Amino acid sequence: MTQIEIAGVGKRFGAHQVLRDCTLSIARGQVLTLLGASGCGKTTLLRIIAGFLDPDEGEVRIQGRDITTLPPNRRQVGYVFQNYALFPHLTVAENVAYGLKVRRRPRAEIADRVRAALETVALAGFADRYPARLSGGQQQRVAIARALVLEPEVLLLDEPFNALDAKLRLAMQVELRKLISRVGITSIFVTHDQAEAMTLSDQVAVMREGRIEQLAAPLDLYDRPATPYVATFIGRANVVPVTVRGGAVEGVPGVAAARADGPAALVLRPENLRLLAAGAPGVVWNGRVAFATADGPTMELELDAGLAEPLRAVLPRRAGEAAPAAGTLLGLGIADPAGCAVIPHAG
Amino acid sequence: MSPRASGATKRRRTIPAIDRLGGLLLGLVAGFALLLLVAPSLIVIAISFEPRAFISFPPSGFSLRWYWAVFENRQLTDSILVSLEVATLVMLAALLLGVPAAFASVRGTFPGKAGANAFLLAPQMMPGMVIGIAMLFFGAYVGFRASDLMLVVALTVFCIPFTIRIVMARLAGLDPRLDEASANLGAGPAETFLRVTVPQLGPALLAAAAFTFIEAFDNVTVALFTSDVRGRPLPVELYYLVQNDSTPAIAAISAMEIMLSFVVMLVIARTVGLERLGR
Ligand SMILES: Nc1ncnc2c1ncn2[C@@H]1O[C@H](COP(=O)(O)OP(=O)(O)O)[C@@H](O)[C@H]1O
Ligand SMILES: [Mg+2]
Repeated sequence: MTQIEIAGVGKRFGAHQVLRDCTLSIARGQVLTLLGASGCGKTTLLRIIAGFLDPDEGEVRIQGRDITTLPPNRRQVGYVFQNYALFPHLTVAENVAYGLKVRRRPRAEIADRVRAALETVALAGFADRYPARLSGGQQQRVAIARALVLEPEVLLLDEPFNALDAKLRLAMQVELRKLISRVGITSIFVTHDQAEAMTLSDQVAVMREGRIEQLAAPLDLYDRPATPYVATFIGRANVVPVTVRGGAVEGVPGVAAARADGPAALVLRPENLRLLAAGAPGVVWNGRVAFATADGPTMELELDAGLAEPLRAVLPRRAGEAAPAAGTLLGLGIADPAGCAVIPHAG
Repeated sequence: MSPRASGATKRRRTIPAIDRLGGLLLGLVAGFALLLLVAPSLIVIAISFEPRAFISFPPSGFSLRWYWAVFENRQLTDSILVSLEVATLVMLAALLLGVPAAFASVRGTFPGKAGANAFLLAPQMMPGMVIGIAMLFFGAYVGFRASDLMLVVALTVFCIPFTIRIVMARLAGLDPRLDEASANLGAGPAETFLRVTVPQLGPALLAAAAFTFIEAFDNVTVALFTSDVRGRPLPVELYYLVQNDSTPAIAAISAMEIMLSFVVMLVIARTVGLERLGR
């Protein structure tokens, strides 16, 4: 069942078109991530869903109900701000109780629910502290408890791990993912970190310059990128210009292309290449090694094969094997032709 | 040792000496400035305890007779009452007008905002005397005579930039996302104002009220031109008094004013923290 739908949303700030025709839908209990470079409009889209901004066009629907013009205080949408936005003049417990007080819940109920929420985020002992005396990770958990205690229909989180150091970030990502599946709340995360998007989400929407470039499950995004931008944004990829003729890619045997004839781009993950002697059977590209390095389990090399950019390959390394010297003449073949994607040409 | 190395050690030795000298100079200047600021107040307080009928420093003894004299002088007590009343009204008017104005100029988005801001804060750039004279002439033109009411109006114009600036400074420091967080948690605009904005603004409001009150209470330049001849406020009364008389009673009043200001600052320091006023 669709919990939240965004249909054709556009937003302009002055002459600057920040969002264009953003459309996506999320099933109940699913986690979607908005992934994109800084400034591509992720926060703006999230703020439109929360009601802090009105879109210029398009609709936001929750369980089929159009909420586009509903003021933020009448939406059942939790929001975890990038800097957490905890009330500095209220204690942790008072912060968490805020929404319940506003809803005029009975005192005893508020106390119970606040206690339960603080236990959920493992902050039971911090009820009487002020936010200024909490660490970044603790503040983040207060912000999450403050939103979750109201049992919203949707939880929105704007780069919730940004303020945390790398080690804590990983731990909190796992914790938050567990918490979200335990309470089963439909969530939208914002991040510019693709690894974070892969860990956290059921679906990832890759955004670029205000558009949703591709919406897919994390692994599909990696295996079947729809555009060169997605291919290089999610992991690393060689994007090679090719020509499609009769459902096959010219000069690259074994790769099927369900596209019309004409120019296209072949997406090759570095680990899907194999190293061969120059001119050996199965070689697709011959060239000289431009750069090579080995780090224990793998070696990485760049081969100058006369393309616009050198081909990058990540290869398993056998014991005792050294990286080939720069200038060596070598060949590269494709390990698994079915693992390549053929997509529209970059231009 | 090479000449270069010895030069380096020499320089290393001379820099702290210059630093020490600089520190000493700075300390001297600061101490002197402090003395200039504080000494007159201390002298006035000392003089106010003079037992004899004329001013001398150091005082020839200790007595509170001039404090009693102040309260036995009808003219002085009347003017104290006028000043208290006027300062209270100015404070209320400045808060009532200044707080919404501060909101509009920090949070508002409307055409001509920069101009409106400049206009609101303009009286601060103008000498009080100019405001006083302008008010008097304008009053004559529209048939509005110098009176307590005119004094309140003129002083409000004069004081409101102080009020607005203190509130603005604090408002600008508030995170607008806290308002969004409050809305997100279900609070309407009025409830957000009461639960989020007011508690954080409270200290600034207290400070604005105190400063406006003190400013209105001891202003001479505006009051000289706009106050009623019969109901003169205290500063004007004192101004006329010192022209033909110099009794220690004047020192006693000044001492009381100094102590009042001191108490107000102390209260603010205790409740708000003085360093937060600047923000
Ligand atoms: N209130 C605003 N007024 C004008 N421009 C804005 C405003 N908010 C965001 N923008 C612009 O919109 C673009 C997208 O911003 P944002 O949604 O914050 O990006 P992201 O969260 O993906 O980094 C940026 O170029 C930003 O400068
Ligand atoms: Mg952002």
